[in-house]
Amino acid sequence: MSADIVAPKPSWADEVGEEFDPLPLETFTDENGIKTVVEYKTNDDGKKVKVTRKIKKTLITERVNKAVAERKKWTKFGEERGKKVGPDLSTTSIGEQIFLKLSSNFKNAETTDDNIVNKGKLKKILCRICKGDHFTTKCPYKDTLQPLDELNTTVPDASKDSAPAAEPAQPDTTSGKYIPPSLRAGNKGTGSDSFKERKDDATIRVTNLSEDTTEGDIHDLFRRFGSISRVYLARDRETNVCKGFAFVSFQIRDDASRALQAINGYGYDNLILRVEWAKSSS
Amino acid sequence: MRPILLQGHTRSLTQIKYNREGDLLFSVSKDQVVNVWYSHNGERLGTYNGHVGAIWTVDVNSTSTLLLTGSADNTAKLWEVQTGKCLHTWEFKTAVKRVAFSEDDAMALAVTEQRMGYPGTIVILSIKNDLEAEQSDEPINIVYPKGSKAMAAEWGYLNKYIITGHEDGSVAQYDWKAGDQIKSVKAHNAEITDLQMSEDRTYFITASKDKSAQIFESNTLNHLKKYMTDAPLNSAAITPIQDFVILGGGQDAMQVTTTTMRQGKFECRFYHKILEDVEVGRVKGHFGPINTIAVHPDGKSFSSGGEDGYVRVHHFDEDYFKFKYPELH
Repeated sequence: MSADIVAPKPSWADEVGEEFDPLPLETFTDENGIKTVVEYKTNDDGKKVKVTRKIKKTLITERVNKAVAERKKWTKFGEERGKKVGPDLSTTSIGEQIFLKLSSNFKNAETTDDNIVNKGKLKKILCRICKGDHFTTKCPYKDTLQPLDELNTTVPDASKDSAPAAEPAQPDTTSGKYIPPSLRAGNKGTGSDSFKERKDDATIRVTNLSEDTTEGDIHDLFRRFGSISRVYLARDRETNVCKGFAFVSFQIRDDASRALQAINGYGYDNLILRVEWAKSSS
Repeated sequence: MRPILLQGHTRSLTQIKYNREGDLLFSVSKDQVVNVWYSHNGERLGTYNGHVGAIWTVDVNSTSTLLLTGSADNTAKLWEVQTGKCLHTWEFKTAVKRVAFSEDDAMALAVTEQRMGYPGTIVILSIKNDLEAEQSDEPINIVYPKGSKAMAAEWGYLNKYIITGHEDGSVAQYDWKAGDQIKSVKAHNAEITDLQMSEDRTYFITASKDKSAQIFESNTLNHLKKYMTDAPLNSAAITPIQDFVILGGGQDAMQVTTTTMRQGKFECRFYHKILEDVEVGRVKGHFGPINTIAVHPDGKSFSSGGEDGYVRVHHFDEDYFKFKYPELH
């Protein structure tokens, strides 16, 4: 088998240029069999440039079994009859790069990988204690605060079965994946309907939020308690920073009630959150 | 590594097999077509057309001149590898689930399904390794396996006996001349889906729906190794060069649509052959359960065929060969 590097054919534009200004072409081969081609040409700016190309031809000899070499010459048959030599794109394609990482403790490596992947889906690494973007073990509050998940489970709730079951089924609206309308947050009918049907009795008010809180943070914080139909974060009209309070509407009042109990008094971004039932504006 | 995807089948793969030198890869599927590929670049060399039912099994003789296939159309067909011409057809009462050439190519076994009142059998066929010769319809012998039906079978070394894997999970040794069972051990708790011999046929690996694969000694049926996984297995293969076994399987096809790819466990798992429960790596890629795995005889590549209709040919990267298990070196 030979793999030879051929100098690229000069484009027609270069050839036309050289007609007017035939510049010398030097070619010599050194003792290692490396061929050097030196040519001079004028570039776009009218300057004369020296182009040096080194070409090395390597002949790679592969030894194969005689029978195998013979079989490589076989003509195609059946449905491939008459097709030209070489892989056909309709039947043969190259898959995407995959990695076979061999390791003696593969299982452990894989599980931590999975965690990172899962967290990556939420666009960032989330601390279980303070919801910051670092690992739980590195949380500055790890000695003082209880993880949020544990907080959640300690809440005495009547609808125990609905909460953990709802957690994995709850689709992540931030991941960018397609989610059928029936599974989206606020899935009661169409979007506009659900807006009208919004029940104020499943809405909680969260206060003492820090200035840099975003809607996404609120979603992340309350998602675990049940499906959220709406999050309203009050922002300053001019500076667009958080005014320190937000309204979170749940689909089910029980979820809202559990969220209220769990998050009220919960440390978030150096501040202690206060959660209460939202009072109707009327 | 970048796998080569072979899209020659429209239905799920049932078996793939390399020839002795490993330059050709044969694949059979439920879509009634047999394909042959060049394993180094994935080019399809040809197809063998003629079966009118799902094809369950394929085997090639050691000189890569004859190909034997078994199908659900109740026939086994012998083909000329180079041209795709059908040389002979054996008719049976039921589907042919497994075929295998003997070590000297002079015989082949065909495992027939137990169905419609007919018992499952292992038919020993006589094969003439001459493309012009008329093959004999008359079998050398018919073995009637005891107990549950045979799912997979292979020849022992020097054709001394036949080793069978059964639906009830047992592994048995049969004297093919007399038709008697020599030994039987209860190996698995569920049906055996694959049985592949080591290179010298002194030991073999079985894959089972009970989520485990096991290695047995051919001569004594002594249990040597056991690999436990978390998914039903459809195939298991032994790799040369590195001391690994490759296991493939996944959830049943009928449940696939209700689960995500990750939960389905459609990966080729690499286990250390000696250390049993050490999983060293995984290769992802299939969208459905892996039905069949074959390792290139030189150990530098392997292929897997899945329920998704694809064959994926993987050529190992450099670091695969450099891997050393720390505690053993």
